[in-house]
Amino acid sequence: MPSTILIVDDSRTVRTMVRQALEADQHQVLEATDGVAALAALDTGPADLVITDVNMPEMDGLKLVRALRDRPAYRFIPILVLTTESGDEIKQRGREAGATGWLVKPFNPEHLRKTVQHVFRRRQS
Amino acid sequence: MTSAVPGRLASLAASPAPEKEVTIYIGGVHASAEPAVVKTLLGSCISVCLFDPVRLVGGMNHFMLPRGAGSSGTDPDGTRFGVHAMDSLIGALMKLGADRRRFVAKFFGGAHVLNMKESATAVPQQNISFIREFLQIEGFPILAEDVGGYHPRHVRFYTQSARAMVKRVDGPHARARLVSQEDRRSAQPPQYGDVTLFDP
Repeated sequence: MPSTILIVDDSRTVRTMVRQALEADQHQVLEATDGVAALAALDTGPADLVITDVNMPEMDGLKLVRALRDRPAYRFIPILVLTTESGDEIKQRGREAGATGWLVKPFNPEHLRKTVQHVFRRRQS
Repeated sequence: MTSAVPGRLASLAASPAPEKEVTIYIGGVHASAEPAVVKTLLGSCISVCLFDPVRLVGGMNHFMLPRGAGSSGTDPDGTRFGVHAMDSLIGALMKLGADRRRFVAKFFGGAHVLNMKESATAVPQQNISFIREFLQIEGFPILAEDVGGYHPRHVRFYTQSARAMVKRVDGPHARARLVSQEDRRSAQPPQYGDVTLFDP
């Protein structure tokens, strides 16, 4: 079922690649360049899922996850982290911040789409 | 040889040689907030050097776009892995306190080390086209580039000044070593990152 997904990444190239993967499943895709821009975007319209990078200017991805979990409207929505960071320690920090999942770049578009489908199904069940 | 940024950084370029030297190979990334020289040997691959002139943080990567089996044209996987190489370098620099909005870039490589005629569909030219487009899209000003041709290049990048030195090398040993490395690398299937879902 098509949903609204917010992509947060400081790279325009990466945002375009993620957008193309998600639009193949008819999702509506919003974009933001960092955590601050993401929170501003969500103030103007809701999203059903957030996909965020970690290393970004202004507000990094883990701070964004914590900020979203502090908002009642976003306490339970899926948040996927999509990053070059692959260490266990930072993944654990992501989990503790409230992330739903962790995808390491370079990403396979098919894996991303299936992961998004999976977290939506899991949320509905 | 290319020089770095003008002004107050020029004096840094003339300072004594940094102690730390790091050599990277295909797929490698190194970034440093301390004085360091990142070195590599390039054939058809590309190395991009990014530098934040305010924080004096710099780094370099070394990548080649993988070719899909039987593919001679532009391969979406190739682009994906070139983007990953850049993303890894940008992320490493930002973790050291750099700000991508100040990045300036230099890039090198893309030589036809097999002495084949230069063409738009050959891997070296695809590498060059990719990185030019990427840097333009991301808005990173290009301070210098030295690409194409037929000779391998030794590149030294000084992370605290953005100074880069390029030496074209020839001779059967360097060429054979590069061709062997690049053939081995391009024969490997692209490796994607893993996916972890946390318990609800």
